[in-house]
Amino acid sequence: MANELHVNEPERIYGLVEHGEISVSEALSMIRKSTNQFGKAEVEISKEERIAKIQRELTKLIGLDSVKSLVLEIQAFVEITQRRISARLASDPVVLHMIFKGNPGTGKTTVARIIGKLFLEMGVLSKGHSVEVERADLVAEYIGQTAQRTREQLRKAAGGILFIDEAYSLARGGEKDFGKEAIDTMVKTMEDQRSDLIVILAGYSEPMEEFLETNPGLKSRFPITIEFPDYSAFELFKIAEEMLEQRDYQLNKAARRKLFRIIEDVRKKEQVNFGNARAIRNLIEKSIRQQAVRLVSKKTTSRTQLMEISDDDIQEVVDA
Amino acid sequence: MKRVIILGQTNAGKTLFTINFAAYLGVQSITFTFSDKQRGSYTRTIEIQDAIELLVSDRAHHTRSIQSAVLQIPWGKAAKRFEILDTAGLSDGIHSDETVRRGMAYTLATVREAEIILHVLDSALIAKKNVLHSIGEVDYQVAQFGQLHTGYAILANKIDVPHVKEGLDKICEEFPGHFVIPISALLKLGFKEVRDFVKRHL
Repeated sequence: MANELHVNEPERIYGLVEHGEISVSEALSMIRKSTNQFGKAEVEISKEERIAKIQRELTKLIGLDSVKSLVLEIQAFVEITQRRISARLASDPVVLHMIFKGNPGTGKTTVARIIGKLFLEMGVLSKGHSVEVERADLVAEYIGQTAQRTREQLRKAAGGILFIDEAYSLARGGEKDFGKEAIDTMVKTMEDQRSDLIVILAGYSEPMEEFLETNPGLKSRFPITIEFPDYSAFELFKIAEEMLEQRDYQLNKAARRKLFRIIEDVRKKEQVNFGNARAIRNLIEKSIRQQAVRLVSKKTTSRTQLMEISDDDIQEVVDA
Repeated sequence: MKRVIILGQTNAGKTLFTINFAAYLGVQSITFTFSDKQRGSYTRTIEIQDAIELLVSDRAHHTRSIQSAVLQIPWGKAAKRFEILDTAGLSDGIHSDETVRRGMAYTLATVREAEIILHVLDSALIAKKNVLHSIGEVDYQVAQFGQLHTGYAILANKIDVPHVKEGLDKICEEFPGHFVIPISALLKLGFKEVRDFVKRHL
Protein backbone atom coordinates (compact mmCIF):
# COMPACT_ATOMS: atom_id res chain seq x y z
CA MET A 1 0.00 0.00 0.00
CA ALA A 2 2.74 2.40 0.96
CA ASN A 3 3.42 3.54 -2.53
CA GLU A 4 6.52 5.68 -2.89
CA LEU A 5 4.65 7.85 -5.28
CA HIS A 6 2.37 9.25 -2.63
CA VAL A 7 5.22 10.40 -0.47
CA ASN A 8 5.18 13.97 -1.63
CA GLU A 9 1.49 14.44 -1.20
CA PRO A 10 0.55 14.80 2.45
CA GLU A 11 -3.13 15.24 1.66
CA ARG A 12 -3.13 11.82 0.10
CA ILE A 13 -1.30 10.32 3.07
CA TYR A 14 -3.96 11.66 5.46
CA GLY A 15 -6.63 10.30 3.15
CA LEU A 16 -5.05 6.85 3.27
CA VAL A 17 -5.08 6.94 7.08
CA GLU A 18 -8.68 8.07 7.13
CA HIS A 19 -9.76 5.30 4.80
CA GLY A 20 -7.90 2.76 6.85
CA GLU A 21 -5.42 1.83 4.18
CA ILE A 22 -2.26 2.57 6.10
CA SER A 23 -1.48 2.88 9.79
CA VAL A 24 -0.44 6.08 11.52
CA SER A 25 3.12 4.78 11.85
CA GLU A 26 3.40 4.20 8.13
CA ALA A 27 1.96 7.64 7.47
CA LEU A 28 4.44 9.31 9.81
CA SER A 29 7.35 7.56 8.21
CA MET A 30 6.12 8.63 4.76
CA ILE A 31 5.76 12.23 5.87
CA ARG A 32 9.17 12.13 7.48
CA LYS A 33 10.80 10.78 4.34
CA SER A 34 9.37 13.59 2.30
CA THR A 35 10.77 16.16 4.71
CA ASN A 36 14.36 17.03 3.99
CA GLN A 37 17.18 17.31 6.48
CA PHE A 38 16.81 21.02 7.00
CA GLY A 39 13.46 20.42 8.57
CA LYS A 40 11.84 22.30 5.77
CA ALA A 41 9.17 20.18 4.25
CA GLU A 42 9.55 19.50 0.58
CA VAL A 43 5.86 18.77 0.68
CA GLU A 44 5.33 22.54 0.73
CA ILE A 45 6.10 22.66 -2.98
CA SER A 46 2.77 22.53 -4.67
CA LYS A 47 1.95 20.61 -7.80
CA GLU A 48 1.85 23.86 -9.79
CA GLU A 49 5.35 24.81 -8.69
CA ARG A 50 6.70 21.40 -9.58
CA ILE A 51 5.14 21.66 -13.02
CA ALA A 52 6.56 25.15 -13.42
CA LYS A 53 9.98 23.80 -12.46
CA ILE A 54 9.80 21.16 -15.17
CA GLN A 55 8.61 23.76 -17.66
CA ARG A 56 11.63 25.89 -16.81
CA GLU A 57 13.83 22.87 -17.43
CA LEU A 58 12.25 22.62 -20.87
CA THR A 59 12.49 26.30 -21.75
CA LYS A 60 16.11 26.36 -20.62
CA LEU A 61 17.03 24.05 -23.48
CA ILE A 62 18.69 26.00 -26.25
CA GLY A 63 16.75 26.36 -29.49
CA LEU A 64 13.90 23.87 -30.11
CA ASP A 65 11.31 26.64 -30.08
CA SER A 66 8.70 24.73 -32.04
CA VAL A 67 9.18 21.67 -29.82
CA LYS A 68 8.78 23.72 -26.67
CA SER A 69 5.59 25.38 -27.78
CA LEU A 70 4.14 22.05 -28.88
CA VAL A 71 4.94 20.42 -25.53
CA LEU A 72 3.32 23.32 -23.68
CA GLU A 73 0.33 23.02 -26.00
CA ILE A 74 -0.03 19.32 -25.16
CA GLN A 75 0.31 20.09 -21.49
CA ALA A 76 -2.43 22.72 -21.66
CA PHE A 77 -4.67 20.34 -23.55
CA VAL A 78 -4.20 17.56 -20.99
CA GLU A 79 -4.83 19.97 -18.14
CA ILE A 80 -8.04 21.28 -19.65
CA THR A 81 -9.22 17.78 -20.50
CA GLN A 82 -8.72 16.81 -16.85
CA ARG A 83 -10.74 19.84 -15.76
CA ARG A 84 -13.46 19.02 -18.26
CA ILE A 85 -13.65 15.48 -16.92
CA SER A 86 -14.05 16.78 -13.39
CA ALA A 87 -16.77 19.13 -14.64
CA ARG A 88 -18.45 16.10 -16.22
CA LEU A 89 -18.23 17.47 -19.75
CA ALA A 90 -17.87 15.27 -22.77
CA SER A 91 -14.25 14.45 -23.47
CA ASP A 92 -12.46 12.00 -25.69
CA PRO A 93 -9.81 9.85 -24.09
CA VAL A 94 -6.49 11.61 -24.47
CA VAL A 95 -4.11 9.63 -26.64
CA LEU A 96 -0.59 10.85 -26.11
CA HIS A 97 1.55 8.49 -28.12
CA MET A 98 4.04 10.49 -30.12
CA ILE A 99 6.38 10.47 -33.04
CA PHE A 100 9.64 12.35 -32.77
CA LYS A 101 11.34 13.11 -36.06
CA GLY A 102 14.80 14.52 -36.27
CA ASN A 103 18.47 13.84 -36.70
CA PRO A 104 20.52 12.31 -33.90
CA GLY A 105 21.54 14.72 -31.19
CA THR A 106 18.67 17.14 -31.68
CA GLY A 107 17.28 16.61 -28.20
CA LYS A 108 14.69 13.88 -28.71
CA THR A 109 15.65 11.79 -25.70
CA THR A 110 16.04 14.83 -23.48
CA VAL A 111 12.59 16.09 -24.40
CA ALA A 112 11.10 12.61 -23.89
CA ARG A 113 12.47 12.50 -20.36
CA ILE A 114 11.09 15.93 -19.58
CA ILE A 115 7.69 14.94 -20.94
CA GLY A 116 7.76 11.89 -18.66
CA LYS A 117 8.37 14.04 -15.61
CA LEU A 118 5.76 16.56 -16.68
CA PHE A 119 3.06 13.94 -17.14
CA LEU A 120 3.97 12.34 -13.83
CA GLU A 121 3.30 15.63 -12.04
CA MET A 122 0.11 16.15 -13.99
CA GLY A 123 -1.10 12.72 -12.95
CA VAL A 124 -1.23 11.33 -16.48
CA LEU A 125 1.49 8.76 -15.80
CA SER A 126 1.97 6.97 -12.52
CA LYS A 127 5.77 6.68 -12.64
CA GLY A 128 7.02 9.02 -15.35
CA HIS A 129 10.24 7.14 -16.02
CA SER A 130 11.41 6.54 -19.55
CA VAL A 131 12.65 3.27 -20.96
CA GLU A 132 14.83 3.77 -24.00
CA VAL A 133 14.98 0.86 -26.41
CA GLU A 134 15.97 0.10 -29.98
CA ARG A 135 15.23 -2.68 -32.43
CA ALA A 136 17.54 -5.19 -30.77
CA ASP A 137 15.69 -4.84 -27.47
CA LEU A 138 12.37 -5.70 -29.07
CA VAL A 139 13.07 -8.14 -31.86
CA ALA A 140 14.39 -11.64 -31.18
CA GLU A 141 16.12 -14.15 -33.45
CA TYR A 142 13.63 -16.95 -33.32
CA ILE A 143 9.98 -17.19 -34.04
CA GLY A 144 7.67 -16.54 -31.11
CA GLN A 145 10.27 -14.81 -28.97
CA THR A 146 9.76 -11.32 -30.30
CA ALA A 147 6.32 -10.89 -28.75
CA GLN A 148 7.71 -12.00 -25.43
CA ARG A 149 10.65 -9.64 -25.59
CA THR A 150 8.53 -6.71 -26.67
CA ARG A 151 6.01 -7.39 -23.91
CA GLU A 152 8.85 -7.45 -21.40
CA GLN A 153 9.93 -3.95 -22.47
CA LEU A 154 6.36 -2.71 -22.42
CA ARG A 155 5.96 -4.08 -18.92
CA LYS A 156 9.11 -2.25 -17.82
CA ALA A 157 7.79 0.97 -19.31
CA ALA A 158 4.31 0.72 -17.77
CA GLY A 159 3.48 3.91 -15.95
CA GLY A 160 6.04 5.81 -17.97
CA ILE A 161 7.37 6.31 -21.45
CA LEU A 162 8.62 3.69 -23.89
CA PHE A 163 11.04 5.50 -26.18
CA ILE A 164 11.84 3.49 -29.29
CA ASP A 165 14.86 4.95 -31.02
CA GLU A 166 15.22 4.46 -34.75
CA ALA A 167 11.76 2.92 -34.78
CA TYR A 168 11.71 2.66 -38.59
CA SER A 169 14.16 -0.20 -38.32
CA LEU A 170 11.29 -2.33 -37.02
CA ALA A 171 9.87 -2.38 -40.53
CA ARG A 172 13.14 -3.13 -42.23
CA GLY A 173 13.68 -6.64 -43.53
CA GLY A 174 10.40 -7.11 -45.29
CA GLU A 175 7.44 -9.38 -44.68
CA LYS A 176 9.26 -12.22 -42.95
CA ASP A 177 11.06 -10.03 -40.45
CA PHE A 178 10.02 -10.27 -36.82
CA GLY A 179 9.91 -6.49 -36.58
CA LYS A 180 6.29 -6.66 -37.64
CA GLU A 181 5.50 -8.93 -34.71
CA ALA A 182 7.05 -6.36 -32.38
CA ILE A 183 4.85 -3.62 -33.85
CA ASP A 184 1.71 -5.73 -33.53
CA THR A 185 2.44 -6.62 -29.90
CA MET A 186 3.11 -2.99 -29.12
CA VAL A 187 -0.08 -1.77 -30.73
CA LYS A 188 -2.08 -4.40 -28.86
CA THR A 189 -0.66 -3.36 -25.50
CA MET A 190 -1.16 0.30 -26.29
CA GLU A 191 -4.85 -0.36 -26.81
CA ASP A 192 -5.13 -2.36 -23.60
CA GLN A 193 -3.25 -0.03 -21.27
CA ARG A 194 -4.42 3.07 -22.89
CA SER A 195 -4.05 5.40 -19.97
CA ASP A 196 -0.82 4.63 -18.22
CA LEU A 197 1.76 4.22 -20.96
CA ILE A 198 3.07 6.55 -23.60
CA VAL A 199 4.97 5.18 -26.56
CA ILE A 200 7.29 7.47 -28.47
CA LEU A 201 8.65 6.41 -31.84
CA ALA A 202 11.77 8.33 -32.75
CA GLY A 203 14.07 8.47 -35.74
CA TYR A 204 15.33 10.35 -38.75
CA SER A 205 12.60 12.26 -40.57
CA GLU A 206 12.55 10.50 -43.93
CA PRO A 207 12.80 6.87 -42.88
CA MET A 208 10.16 7.61 -40.23
CA GLU A 209 7.84 8.98 -42.93
CA GLU A 210 8.28 5.82 -44.98
CA PHE A 211 7.80 3.66 -41.92
CA LEU A 212 4.47 5.31 -41.15
CA GLU A 213 3.38 5.15 -44.78
CA THR A 214 3.92 1.42 -44.87
CA ASN A 215 2.07 0.90 -41.59
CA PRO A 216 -1.06 2.99 -41.98
CA GLY A 217 -2.52 1.66 -38.72
CA LEU A 218 0.30 3.29 -36.81
CA LYS A 219 -0.24 6.83 -37.96
CA SER A 220 -3.69 7.08 -36.40
CA ARG A 221 -2.47 5.63 -33.13
CA PHE A 222 0.28 8.22 -32.81
CA PRO A 223 -1.62 11.46 -33.12
CA ILE A 224 1.19 13.76 -32.00
CA THR A 225 4.17 14.38 -34.24
CA ILE A 226 7.01 16.57 -33.11
CA GLU A 227 9.71 17.64 -35.56
CA PHE A 228 13.13 18.29 -34.11
CA PRO A 229 14.89 20.72 -36.42
CA ASP A 230 18.65 20.76 -36.65
CA TYR A 231 20.30 23.38 -34.50
CA SER A 232 21.48 26.53 -36.23
CA ALA A 233 25.16 27.41 -36.07
CA PHE A 234 24.47 30.04 -33.45
CA GLU A 235 22.45 27.64 -31.30
CA LEU A 236 25.20 25.07 -31.50
CA PHE A 237 27.70 27.68 -30.45
CA LYS A 238 25.56 28.55 -27.44
CA ILE A 239 25.25 24.88 -26.54
CA ALA A 240 29.04 24.60 -26.69
CA GLU A 241 29.44 27.60 -24.42
CA GLU A 242 26.95 26.21 -21.94
CA MET A 243 28.67 22.86 -21.87
CA LEU A 244 31.98 24.56 -21.14
CA GLU A 245 30.46 26.74 -18.47
CA GLN A 246 29.01 23.72 -16.70
CA ARG A 247 32.47 22.21 -16.64
CA ASP A 248 34.10 25.46 -15.41
CA TYR A 249 35.93 26.26 -18.61
CA GLN A 250 36.02 29.42 -20.69
CA LEU A 251 36.85 30.14 -24.30
CA ASN A 252 39.23 32.97 -24.96
CA LYS A 253 38.52 35.39 -27.81
CA ALA A 254 40.49 33.59 -30.49
CA ALA A 255 38.97 30.29 -29.46
CA ARG A 256 35.44 31.67 -29.68
CA ARG A 257 36.10 32.87 -33.22
CA LYS A 258 37.63 29.57 -34.22
CA LEU A 259 34.86 27.49 -32.72
CA PHE A 260 32.17 29.54 -34.39
CA ARG A 261 33.92 29.30 -37.74
CA ILE A 262 34.26 25.54 -37.45
CA ILE A 263 30.60 25.13 -36.60
CA GLU A 264 29.53 27.39 -39.49
CA ASP A 265 31.77 25.57 -41.94
CA VAL A 266 30.40 22.20 -41.07
CA ARG A 267 26.84 23.48 -41.13
CA LYS A 268 27.39 24.90 -44.60
CA LYS A 269 28.64 21.61 -45.92
CA GLU A 270 25.41 20.15 -44.59
CA GLN A 271 26.78 16.92 -43.39
CA VAL A 272 23.86 14.66 -42.67
CA ASN A 273 25.21 13.55 -39.36
CA PHE A 274 26.20 16.92 -38.09
CA GLY A 275 24.04 19.73 -36.81
CA ASN A 276 23.84 18.16 -33.49
CA ALA A 277 24.56 18.60 -29.88
CA ARG A 278 26.27 15.26 -29.59
CA ALA A 279 28.94 16.19 -32.13
CA ILE A 280 29.48 19.44 -30.27
CA ARG A 281 29.97 17.58 -27.04
CA ASN A 282 32.64 15.42 -28.63
CA LEU A 283 34.34 18.52 -29.96
CA ILE A 284 34.28 20.16 -26.55
CA GLU A 285 35.55 17.10 -24.74
CA LYS A 286 38.36 16.79 -27.24
CA SER A 287 39.38 20.43 -26.66
CA ILE A 288 39.35 19.89 -22.92
CA ARG A 289 41.76 17.01 -23.33
CA GLN A 290 43.93 19.09 -25.68
CA GLN A 291 44.07 21.85 -23.10
CA ALA A 292 45.19 19.32 -20.50
CA VAL A 293 47.99 18.14 -22.80
CA ARG A 294 49.08 21.75 -23.36
CA LEU A 295 49.19 22.54 -19.64
CA VAL A 296 50.59 19.35 -18.22
CA SER A 297 54.21 20.18 -19.06
CA LYS A 298 54.04 23.48 -17.20
CA LYS A 299 55.22 23.40 -13.60
CA THR A 300 52.75 25.90 -12.23
CA THR A 301 49.37 26.80 -13.60
CA SER A 302 47.13 29.64 -12.48
CA ARG A 303 43.42 29.32 -11.93
CA THR A 304 42.73 31.31 -15.09
CA GLN A 305 45.01 29.10 -17.14
CA LEU A 306 43.22 26.03 -15.87
CA MET A 307 39.91 27.46 -17.00
CA GLU A 308 40.96 28.86 -20.35
CA ILE A 309 40.48 27.04 -23.65
CA SER A 310 42.61 28.67 -26.35
CA ASP A 311 42.22 28.40 -30.12
CA ASP A 312 45.03 25.83 -30.31
CA ASP A 313 43.01 23.46 -28.17
CA ILE A 314 40.19 23.31 -30.65
CA GLN A 315 40.67 20.86 -33.45
CA GLU A 316 39.56 21.57 -36.96
CA VAL A 317 38.26 18.13 -37.70
CA VAL A 318 34.76 17.39 -36.53
CA ASP A 319 33.80 13.81 -36.42
CA ALA A 320 30.14 13.24 -36.27
CA MET B 1 1.93 32.72 17.22
CA LYS B 2 3.78 29.44 17.63
CA ARG B 3 1.92 26.20 18.03
CA VAL B 4 2.54 23.48 20.57
CA ILE B 5 1.06 20.13 19.66
CA ILE B 6 0.46 17.38 22.19
CA LEU B 7 0.92 13.93 20.65
CA GLY B 8 0.84 10.43 22.00
CA GLN B 9 -0.95 7.14 22.19
CA THR B 10 -4.49 7.03 23.35
CA ASN B 11 -4.86 7.17 27.15
CA ALA B 12 -1.42 8.65 27.67
CA GLY B 13 -2.97 11.64 29.41
CA LYS B 14 -2.78 14.30 26.73
CA THR B 15 -6.04 16.06 27.50
CA LEU B 16 -5.51 16.11 31.26
CA PHE B 17 -2.02 17.49 30.70
CA THR B 18 -3.35 20.21 28.39
CA ILE B 19 -6.01 21.37 30.83
CA ASN B 20 -3.81 21.21 33.92
CA PHE B 21 -0.94 22.91 32.11
CA ALA B 22 -3.32 25.75 31.23
CA ALA B 23 -4.33 25.93 34.90
CA TYR B 24 -0.66 25.93 35.88
CA LEU B 25 -0.09 28.94 33.61
CA GLY B 26 -2.74 30.76 35.58
CA VAL B 27 -6.06 30.56 33.77
CA GLN B 28 -9.32 30.05 35.64
CA SER B 29 -11.30 28.96 32.64
CA ILE B 30 -10.09 27.70 29.34
CA THR B 31 -11.40 28.69 25.92
CA PHE B 32 -11.22 25.63 23.73
CA THR B 33 -11.71 25.65 20.01
CA PHE B 34 -12.86 22.24 18.93
CA SER B 35 -12.14 21.52 15.33
CA ASP B 36 -12.67 18.42 13.34
CA LYS B 37 -12.49 17.77 9.68
CA GLN B 38 -16.17 17.11 9.16
CA ARG B 39 -18.02 19.51 11.35
CA GLY B 40 -15.69 22.48 11.18
CA SER B 41 -14.90 24.28 14.42
CA TYR B 42 -16.67 25.84 17.37
CA THR B 43 -15.49 27.56 20.54
CA ARG B 44 -16.49 27.02 24.18
CA THR B 45 -15.21 28.58 27.37
CA ILE B 46 -15.13 26.08 30.22
CA GLU B 47 -14.05 26.26 33.88
CA ILE B 48 -10.97 24.14 34.53
CA GLN B 49 -12.77 21.69 36.81
CA ASP B 50 -15.64 21.25 34.34
CA ALA B 51 -13.19 20.78 31.49
CA ILE B 52 -11.52 17.92 33.33
CA GLU B 53 -14.86 16.27 34.02
CA LEU B 54 -16.09 16.75 30.49
CA LEU B 55 -13.06 16.05 28.38
CA VAL B 56 -10.90 13.67 30.36
CA SER B 57 -11.78 10.01 30.46
CA ASP B 58 -10.00 6.73 31.00
CA ARG B 59 -11.74 5.34 27.97
CA ALA B 60 -9.55 4.97 24.91
CA HIS B 61 -10.12 7.39 22.01
CA HIS B 62 -12.14 9.81 24.10
CA THR B 63 -10.69 12.80 22.29
CA ARG B 64 -11.60 12.67 18.63
CA SER B 65 -11.23 16.23 17.47
CA ILE B 66 -8.47 18.75 17.96
CA GLN B 67 -8.97 20.96 20.99
CA SER B 68 -6.92 24.10 20.90
CA ALA B 69 -6.52 27.01 23.28
CA VAL B 70 -4.42 30.14 23.37
CA LEU B 71 -2.22 30.38 26.45
CA GLN B 72 0.53 32.71 27.57
CA ILE B 73 3.83 32.43 29.37
CA PRO B 74 5.27 35.38 31.33
CA TRP B 75 8.14 36.88 29.37
CA GLY B 76 10.01 39.61 31.16
CA LYS B 77 7.42 42.26 31.91
CA ALA B 78 5.10 41.06 29.16
CA ALA B 79 3.86 37.64 28.13
CA LYS B 80 4.26 35.49 25.06
CA ARG B 81 1.24 33.83 23.58
CA PHE B 82 1.14 30.40 22.02
CA GLU B 83 -1.50 27.97 20.89
CA ILE B 84 -1.73 24.58 22.52
CA LEU B 85 -3.28 21.77 20.49
CA ASP B 86 -4.63 18.70 22.20
CA THR B 87 -5.06 15.93 19.67
CA ALA B 88 -6.79 12.62 19.17
CA GLY B 89 -4.65 9.72 20.37
CA LEU B 90 -2.63 7.77 17.87
CA SER B 91 -2.52 4.02 17.90
CA ASP B 92 -0.74 1.22 16.11
CA GLY B 93 -2.33 -0.63 13.28
CA ILE B 94 -5.50 0.39 11.54
CA HIS B 95 -8.43 1.22 13.75
CA SER B 96 -11.81 -0.21 12.79
CA ASP B 97 -13.80 2.93 13.63
CA GLU B 98 -13.80 5.51 10.88
CA THR B 99 -14.27 8.51 13.17
CA VAL B 100 -11.20 7.45 15.17
CA ARG B 101 -9.20 7.12 11.97
CA ARG B 102 -10.41 10.51 10.81
CA GLY B 103 -9.29 12.02 14.11
CA MET B 104 -5.83 10.50 13.66
CA ALA B 105 -5.57 11.72 10.08
CA TYR B 106 -6.48 15.19 11.25
CA THR B 107 -3.86 14.98 13.98
CA LEU B 108 -1.24 14.08 11.38
CA ALA B 109 -2.27 16.97 9.19
CA THR B 110 -1.85 19.32 12.13
CA VAL B 111 1.55 18.00 13.22
CA ARG B 112 3.26 19.59 10.27
CA GLU B 113 1.98 23.00 11.18
CA ALA B 114 3.27 22.92 14.75
CA GLU B 115 6.65 24.28 15.83
CA ILE B 116 6.80 22.45 19.14
CA ILE B 117 5.89 18.81 19.68
CA LEU B 118 5.25 17.44 23.16
CA HIS B 119 5.08 13.68 22.99
CA VAL B 120 3.24 12.16 25.96
CA LEU B 121 4.14 8.63 27.06
CA ASP B 122 2.51 6.59 29.81
CA SER B 123 5.47 5.68 32.02
CA ALA B 124 3.29 3.74 34.47
CA LEU B 125 2.19 1.41 31.69
CA ILE B 126 5.75 1.11 30.44
CA ALA B 127 6.92 0.20 33.97
CA LYS B 128 4.25 -2.45 34.29
CA LYS B 129 4.44 -4.05 30.88
CA ASN B 130 7.09 -5.18 28.47
CA VAL B 131 8.37 -2.42 26.17
CA LEU B 132 6.94 -4.33 23.22
CA HIS B 133 3.44 -3.97 24.58
CA SER B 134 3.61 -0.49 25.97
CA ILE B 135 5.65 1.60 23.54
CA GLY B 136 4.01 1.54 20.15
CA GLU B 137 5.55 1.62 16.71
CA VAL B 138 3.78 4.93 16.44
CA ASP B 139 5.81 6.31 19.36
CA TYR B 140 9.08 5.46 17.65
CA GLN B 141 7.83 7.06 14.47
CA VAL B 142 6.78 10.21 16.32
CA ALA B 143 10.22 10.35 17.96
CA GLN B 144 11.95 10.01 14.60
CA PHE B 145 9.69 12.64 13.17
CA GLY B 146 10.51 14.82 16.19
CA GLN B 147 14.21 14.69 15.38
CA LEU B 148 13.49 16.99 12.48
CA HIS B 149 12.00 19.52 14.88
CA THR B 150 14.08 21.57 17.24
CA GLY B 151 11.19 21.81 19.68
CA TYR B 152 10.57 18.16 20.46
CA ALA B 153 10.35 16.73 23.97
CA ILE B 154 9.03 13.54 25.49
CA LEU B 155 6.76 13.96 28.50
CA ALA B 156 6.99 10.80 30.60
CA ASN B 157 3.59 11.04 32.26
CA LYS B 158 2.01 9.41 35.34
CA ILE B 159 5.03 9.62 37.66
CA ASP B 160 2.56 9.83 40.57
CA VAL B 161 1.91 6.11 40.19
CA PRO B 162 4.13 3.97 42.50
CA HIS B 163 7.12 2.05 41.09
CA VAL B 164 7.28 4.20 37.99
CA LYS B 165 11.06 4.61 38.07
CA GLU B 166 11.60 1.55 35.91
CA GLY B 167 9.33 3.03 33.24
CA LEU B 168 11.34 6.24 33.14
CA ASP B 169 14.55 4.27 32.73
CA LYS B 170 13.05 2.29 29.89
CA ILE B 171 11.90 5.48 28.15
CA CYS B 172 15.40 7.00 28.33
CA GLU B 173 16.81 3.74 27.05
CA GLU B 174 14.37 3.47 24.15
CA PHE B 175 14.63 7.11 23.06
CA PRO B 176 18.29 8.03 23.45
CA GLY B 177 19.24 11.57 22.57
CA HIS B 178 15.78 12.96 23.18
CA PHE B 179 14.79 15.41 25.86
CA VAL B 180 12.65 13.55 28.42
CA ILE B 181 10.69 15.44 31.08
CA PRO B 182 9.05 13.31 33.82
CA ILE B 183 5.65 14.77 34.66
CA SER B 184 2.42 14.01 36.37
CA ALA B 185 -0.47 15.57 34.52
CA LEU B 186 -2.71 14.76 37.48
CA LEU B 187 -0.58 16.36 40.24
CA LYS B 188 1.00 19.03 37.99
CA LEU B 189 4.50 17.72 38.67
CA GLY B 190 7.32 18.67 36.33
CA PHE B 191 5.28 21.49 34.80
CA LYS B 192 7.97 24.08 35.49
CA GLU B 193 10.36 22.15 33.23
CA VAL B 194 7.73 21.87 30.54
CA ARG B 195 7.04 25.59 30.76
CA ASP B 196 10.75 26.39 30.48
CA PHE B 197 11.10 24.06 27.52
CA VAL B 198 8.20 25.69 25.70
CA LYS B 199 9.50 29.12 26.59
CA ARG B 200 12.92 28.32 25.14
CA HIS B 201 11.38 27.42 21.82
CA LEU B 202 8.85 30.22 21.48
